Amino acid sequence: MAIFSKKRGSRPRRIILKSVYEENLRILGKNPLGPRWKFPYLFKGYFFLSFIVLLVLGNVDYLDSRLFSENKKEIHISTQGENFVPAEYISLINDKKISMKQMFGLGVKTIVIDPGHGGSDPGTSGKLGLKEKDITLDIARRLKKKLLAYGQYKVLLTREDDETVPLNRRTEIAARSKADVFISIHVNYVPSKPINIIETYYFGPSADGDTLELASAENAHSNYSLGEFKEMIEKIGDTLKLQESRRLASFIQDSLYLNIKGQNSSVLDYGIKRAPFVVLLGIDMPGVLTEVSCISNKKEELKLYTTRYREDIAQYLESGILNYLKKGEPVYEASR
Amino acid sequence: MKPADEAENNILYVGIDLGTSRSSISASNNTKECVESYVGWPRDFISARVLGKDILFGSEALGNRLSLDVYRPLERGVIKEGIERNEEAVKELIGHLISLARPPKGQKINAIVGVPADTLKVNKLSIRKAVLGYVHSLMVVSEPFAVAYGLELLNNSMIIDIGAGTVDFCIMHGAMPAEEDQKTILTAGDYIDEQLFSYLSEKYPGSKFTLNMVRQFKEKSSFVGNAGHAIQVELPVEGKLVTHDITNEIKRACESILPAIIDTTASMIARFDPEFQVKIKNNIVVAGGGSRTKGIAEYLHGSFKELFGDCRVSCVEDPLFAGSDGSLKLAMDMPKKYWEQL
Ligand SMILES: Nc1ncnc2c1ncn2[C@@H]1O[C@H](COP(=O)(O)OP(=O)(O)O)[C@@H](O)[C@H]1O
Ligand SMILES: [Zn+2]
Repeated sequence: MAIFSKKRGSRPRRIILKSVYEENLRILGKNPLGPRWKFPYLFKGYFFLSFIVLLVLGNVDYLDSRLFSENKKEIHISTQGENFVPAEYISLINDKKISMKQMFGLGVKTIVIDPGHGGSDPGTSGKLGLKEKDITLDIARRLKKKLLAYGQYKVLLTREDDETVPLNRRTEIAARSKADVFISIHVNYVPSKPINIIETYYFGPSADGDTLELASAENAHSNYSLGEFKEMIEKIGDTLKLQESRRLASFIQDSLYLNIKGQNSSVLDYGIKRAPFVVLLGIDMPGVLTEVSCISNKKEELKLYTTRYREDIAQYLESGILNYLKKGEPVYEASR
Repeated sequence: MKPADEAENNILYVGIDLGTSRSSISASNNTKECVESYVGWPRDFISARVLGKDILFGSEALGNRLSLDVYRPLERGVIKEGIERNEEAVKELIGHLISLARPPKGQKINAIVGVPADTLKVNKLSIRKAVLGYVHSLMVVSEPFAVAYGLELLNNSMIIDIGAGTVDFCIMHGAMPAEEDQKTILTAGDYIDEQLFSYLSEKYPGSKFTLNMVRQFKEKSSFVGNAGHAIQVELPVEGKLVTHDITNEIKRACESILPAIIDTTASMIARFDPEFQVKIKNNIVVAGGGSRTKGIAEYLHGSFKELFGDCRVSCVEDPLFAGSDGSLKLAMDMPKKYWEQL
């Protein structure tokens, strides 16, 4: 199997031995051969690297606050960003939009946010090592903070930390809190194509092979047996829950796609689809699973490393959820 | 190699493969040992008395797991951060591996440790910390790279290392593999076990399965493509032994990880110049425990051929020691001046 005779191989061998040594020096924080930027391909400070690469690619729009504010045209409800304003004041600021019913707490909606994966289940991960479970949790926390600021919503996360939570436990949390809206956040992985796609799913049977493959990846850590699962799929018809889920999915998808397209015109809209995701099946309220980014795309992964981009995504999700909740009262009430 | 050198300086060179499920050591004194990557401490004083030991490793730890706190510290190939016991377990495991190589007291040891390709800097540091207590000098490399080096595949080749927690890909082109020449996916041996477990629980609801049981079924009968013969196991159902046919379930589970492997391989190769692609395609080597799956080279060859034309796919001869042998070779080839700096 050897394709180099000892002699011919001696040069690459010497180079390789040297580079093993140098990389190990680097692991120790020592610097054998002058400045690091001469050897960026070996340098593993990913955050720094991502910064450099973004600069090199000329893709610095995330640093530009003017561009950034322009990108928010889809967002109708103002948010506070880092300057957190106490909830009471926010509801007064936004008073035109608040009905009496909401003021007296009658219309308080519960929103359950499900950060995909966690703990021993990292989900998918990018080439630079960023893990899906970490992105989903970070975006979920940001989204929660944003929604809480309105003072009109109860917001729960299915996991608060990097912990393993089985899928059926997540749906239990949603059921017990009598949530009105359930949103599960994920990140996509499309191995063979360097693209960024955004798609949002609601529960239902699907015949599409790619969708089924994704569903089985996202369902991997479910505690349901296959038998239970099949039975549940069969029971589902085109119910009100399904229609509401579809409506929610389309609001979220539109907000995500249109806003992200404002930053990066090559993003693809894969629209809303049905898929048999276990986490959506077990819930009794409108619910969606959204794949907010595509980590197999290295450029996209580099952006996900930045706080700004994750904050943006949280904001687009917020806008989608609020559009759903405010534009026409949902007709569906979960049977409790 | 340099036996004279070795005698002169009295240095023992060792190559260590730290795996999720199995770890091995190859040493320049011709010992080769392997242990399942489990570490167990007795739960309490009584267990310690009964077992007569303070710490157990490998299958012995697994066999006594009811009276032990058992750790599989390298799950996902890295020392799980923040869990002190896991770091300690890695340290003990390495100490145990080195003791299996039987170095004389006071022996000077130079070690190269192979770890999964996606291990980040911080983890490599913690692995260094864990090993340094036992050795004089130490280097850490990525596992598929060690395999490639051991096979003299320094240039124009691709290694697909199918382990328990990860499949690691590595393209060699004459230099140390860069970040984009390596890739890791998480659907590997453990994933097959989970799939098989759910298929079997579904098909035979009357029998109780455990993950350990189905892993054993897999390791005994794994195959992809055409089954040579029916695979049957005897299992208790309501107290009686019943024969179950598990041929299709084994096939489905073993094949479940292949689409991602095929996709990843194709996309990694596609990034190179056509001329170079041809060379890599003729040097695709499958390693790791998963390479023992019957028919896997033929299956991959068939799929690759459809995707990108003719190619050659082979499996390493000795998946258990391919990594540690490669690290050992690297250790022995490494110039002395480099060792002295580390
Ligand atoms: N004969 C076999 N067929 C299929 N898989 C096997 C076989 N023997 C071992 N394995 C699987 O290989 C994996 C371990 O491979 P290994 O290279 O030792 O991994 P690691 O380096 O992650 O410990 C386990 O998932 C194990 O079940
Ligand atoms: Zn996911």
